[in-house]
Amino acid sequence: MRIFRRHVSDRLAPYIHEARAADQVERHLAKCERCRAEYVQVRAGIEALQRLPLAEAPASIWNSIESVLNAAPAKRSFAPRKIAFAAIAGLMVVGLGYWIVMRSAARWEVDGLGGSPVVGTEHIGRAGRVAAGEWIETDAESRARIQIGDIGSVELAPNTRARVIATRPQDNRIALQHGEIHARISAPPRIFFVDTASATAADLGCEYFLHTDEDGSGLMSVASGWVSFEWNGRESLVPEGASCRTRPRLGPGTPFFEDASDGFKRALDDFDQTSSDAALTAILAKARVRDTLTLWHLLSRVAAGDRGRVYDRIAALTPVPAGVSQEKALKLDPETLRRWKDELAWTW
Amino acid sequence: MVDLSDRQVSTEIIDACRLGDRDAFRALYGLYKDQVYSVALYFFHGDRGIAADITQQVFLKLIGNVRQFRGDSEFSTWLYRLVVNVCLDAARHRKAEPPIAAEAKLESLAGPDSLEQDFARAEAANSVRRAVSALPSKFRMAILLRYFEDLSYEQMARALGCSMGTVASRLSRGHRILAERLKNFEGRRQ
Repeated sequence: MRIFRRHVSDRLAPYIHEARAADQVERHLAKCERCRAEYVQVRAGIEALQRLPLAEAPASIWNSIESVLNAAPAKRSFAPRKIAFAAIAGLMVVGLGYWIVMRSAARWEVDGLGGSPVVGTEHIGRAGRVAAGEWIETDAESRARIQIGDIGSVELAPNTRARVIATRPQDNRIALQHGEIHARISAPPRIFFVDTASATAADLGCEYFLHTDEDGSGLMSVASGWVSFEWNGRESLVPEGASCRTRPRLGPGTPFFEDASDGFKRALDDFDQTSSDAALTAILAKARVRDTLTLWHLLSRVAAGDRGRVYDRIAALTPVPAGVSQEKALKLDPETLRRWKDELAWTW
Repeated sequence: MVDLSDRQVSTEIIDACRLGDRDAFRALYGLYKDQVYSVALYFFHGDRGIAADITQQVFLKLIGNVRQFRGDSEFSTWLYRLVVNVCLDAARHRKAEPPIAAEAKLESLAGPDSLEQDFARAEAANSVRRAVSALPSKFRMAILLRYFEDLSYEQMARALGCSMGTVASRLSRGHRILAERLKNFEGRRQ
């Protein structure tokens, strides 16, 4: 029985906290002395934390926050007889303020990190700004960092050309024509996007690297969080430690973990371009538990007749959770696939 | 453990914050200030100054970006993603804390106004503080989020920007290391 050979060290905290995978963990603990000893330690650590008191935030913090908030211009009161004048003046002020805010919001700050990056047709040196519609380009000697409002930054590697498409609060968007970027975003999901010729990277709260050629051949690698790589209804979910290729006319490929075997990655590369049976056979044979990231995506990408092989391989690598039936999985029932993905993600 | 049931954030509070309502901001701050401050305090080895600065930064960012919060993720997940990012950014920009200074700051947390009424209890709390402080930062942050916020594994995964499996691994290993360190501290005292 394979289940008894696999230690449950990394599942002890979720088992104690939330009784996750209770059957599996308890069956293993009954037979494994090493994991029982670790269980005692994890429980002791959890109990020890009960002695850590919650600290009270000093009142001075809110005072500091209020003084920053109060730094905004104060409102004025007006005498009744001047109401009409005030209304007109107010409208003008609001209009001017709106124009200033919109003008400023439409431009992102750019730091030159070496060499002399170009925004539009001007070399910016150490600092500049870029607006929606403008191009920014680095040569072999230069790099640049764009501050994406206050949600993060995008660093352009040498020999990169990109265009700012949108700088709206709910839609911050860059088109990467060629080269490489390093994006660090801290914001609610789906307000920062990078378009390439063959895919769009939608930020789900993350840090990632994206390289693309002009024809749309590219690779995205995620350093933390998740990125959704999308094109024409095809979506690849890429977590920390994983990468995903994108190709002209094909869009995003199937995501894979960087630490997968070379043979696995070669077979996946082949399958994404040719859908060959030999490549699928090699992928299934070489997959590890963690590679269920790739297999889960393949469920909906292989021919209908091959779904059963993919299902069986995932089921052999990790127990199928309650609520996931083979029949529904093979029919690509969205709720079943989502539930299975959430459970498989424990191993990703 | 903190009970979340009495401080769920209503959509009315969030909507009022979006409109710039200062009272709503204050209510939001009141709901989360101690948890955010405590995570920062123990993450930065008992340094009250940094913890206050982190708390201020987190809430100013929150107030500045609340219009972008669309409600399609839980508020606490978004808030703690901010906490994690601000803490990690601050940690990157700080030099390593000299062990003696960190130790002194941790000891100073057990003041006369704390809940620790007797020496043995204070000693035990100090040992836990030191053990938490000595954890690698990834384990430390996961443990603090779980303990002070009682976030679920899904929420922690989103706040920490990693998979639930990684959260499970960090918490399991972190608690194990914590228990081992506490055993060592107690061994030295005896």
